[in-house]
Amino acid sequence: MRILVVGGGTAGTIVANNLARRLAAETRAGKVRLTMLSASDRHMYQPGLLYVAFGQMTPDQLYRDQASLLEPSIDFHVDPVKQFMLDKNQVRTESGKVHEYDILVIATGSRMVPEETPGMNEGAEFFYTEASAVKMFKRLREFQGGRVAVAVGVPHKCPIAPIEVMFALDDYFKARGIRDKVQLKYYYPIGRIHTIENVATWAKPEFDRLGIEYETLFNIKEVDAKNKILKSEEDIDVEYDLLIVIPQHRGMEVVERDNLGEGGWIPTDRYSLAMKGHDNVYVVGDTTNLPVSKTGSAAHFQAETLSENIASIIKIGAPVKDYDGKVYCFIEAGHERATYAMFNYLNPPDLKPPSKPMHWFKLSYNQMYWTSVRGLL
Amino acid sequence: MTTQTETPSAPPFSENDLQRLVELAQLVTSAQDALSDDMVNRLSSALSEGITLLDRLTRNEGFTHLLRELDRVENQRFLVCMSNAFTEATRELATAPPAAGGIGGLIKLMSDPGTQEGLRLLAFVGARMSNSLREVHRRGL
Repeated sequence: MRILVVGGGTAGTIVANNLARRLAAETRAGKVRLTMLSASDRHMYQPGLLYVAFGQMTPDQLYRDQASLLEPSIDFHVDPVKQFMLDKNQVRTESGKVHEYDILVIATGSRMVPEETPGMNEGAEFFYTEASAVKMFKRLREFQGGRVAVAVGVPHKCPIAPIEVMFALDDYFKARGIRDKVQLKYYYPIGRIHTIENVATWAKPEFDRLGIEYETLFNIKEVDAKNKILKSEEDIDVEYDLLIVIPQHRGMEVVERDNLGEGGWIPTDRYSLAMKGHDNVYVVGDTTNLPVSKTGSAAHFQAETLSENIASIIKIGAPVKDYDGKVYCFIEAGHERATYAMFNYLNPPDLKPPSKPMHWFKLSYNQMYWTSVRGLL
Repeated sequence: MTTQTETPSAPPFSENDLQRLVELAQLVTSAQDALSDDMVNRLSSALSEGITLLDRLTRNEGFTHLLRELDRVENQRFLVCMSNAFTEATRELATAPPAAGGIGGLIKLMSDPGTQEGLRLLAFVGARMSNSLREVHRRGL
């Protein structure tokens, strides 16, 4: 049985490690072969980029060698997939090599596409890559006061990020003693300040308390970088001195190019995580088109379910679990306080008041992440 | 009709329990005050690496076999002897004159009964290890 995992991010790494543990005997006996194809030999802790943007972490703290995170029985190659040939149970990689599989796991993730909004790359700061996070930090350090606009594109990775940025900005400018010289304003595309209703209900009074202004039904159209004006689809022009955006995201190019899913999001069964129309192909993490957040915790819970199911299919011929849509998001609420939102397909989140122990729990998780991707937590 | 007198039930907690709760809260508060973000980061990082190391060790066949062997008293004594030997050898080496070199020096060293005993021990271990390695290869492990 040849299992091929495409993608070495959170979801792919957890699936591969969990399978290696669960199928250790089968692998030793030569009945199962586990291969991972990744675009990089390094693994990044992506939530740490927000800390980099505020000078609380340095980029080197976000990385580990991918091979060091993988079980030794996994055959790991840095050779990204160039073409999916699902009808032949094959993929072709950048190096030209063809890998055959009996079971394929697609965990290629997502990417920001600021270039799709005119002027965004030139006029806005963001933090979804190492370079952009460092650039945003330098820009924040130079900033001496004025109008800060934070606008949100959809869809995007990490649904809590827009809210956390506002709290972090408030903290940052207070720490520098210039909060009174800064107007913080938040622009969100739908009719409330967050897509998850209970998060919006919780965050609104927090924003009010901190003097953070907000405007809803604001969909980014373009950025006039020269004149520092943010324009919306609703014909609203916003003048700014510093613009921070959560850029729109898409799935990976290869997924779009091979017509596996519109926007790079692959149609996925919400319970079994099988790709629709393909029984031996599974999708996890950001790559799915599931109605859940594109976040590390969703990737983690999906990966746990999927690896248990693939292992049981190999051992007893049937899956044993359904993914229930579980997501657990920490929310850094500023002033060394945090809370969390936990929800699934059926139950919305019930947010608790922020506290310092939760903030420390989040800090601890930043370190425990490496234990988590190794398949231990 | 009978009248039933109710005995007041005992409160679910005593004053001592409350005092303990207050003390616990004080402990938590003081721990919160004493800790910083950096400390939490360092502790968590150490815990994370510790868990990973423990996982590797407990799933490592060679290491678990070694631990089982070390449970045997004679092997523990062997370790004691080995560490003593290292200590004594280090001291002797510090005071011994540098080797003169040449075949004569080697013959003199080889003529020493202590050296011969040491070589014999190493030869025994080497022979057993060689047999064991051959067996592992034969079984395709």
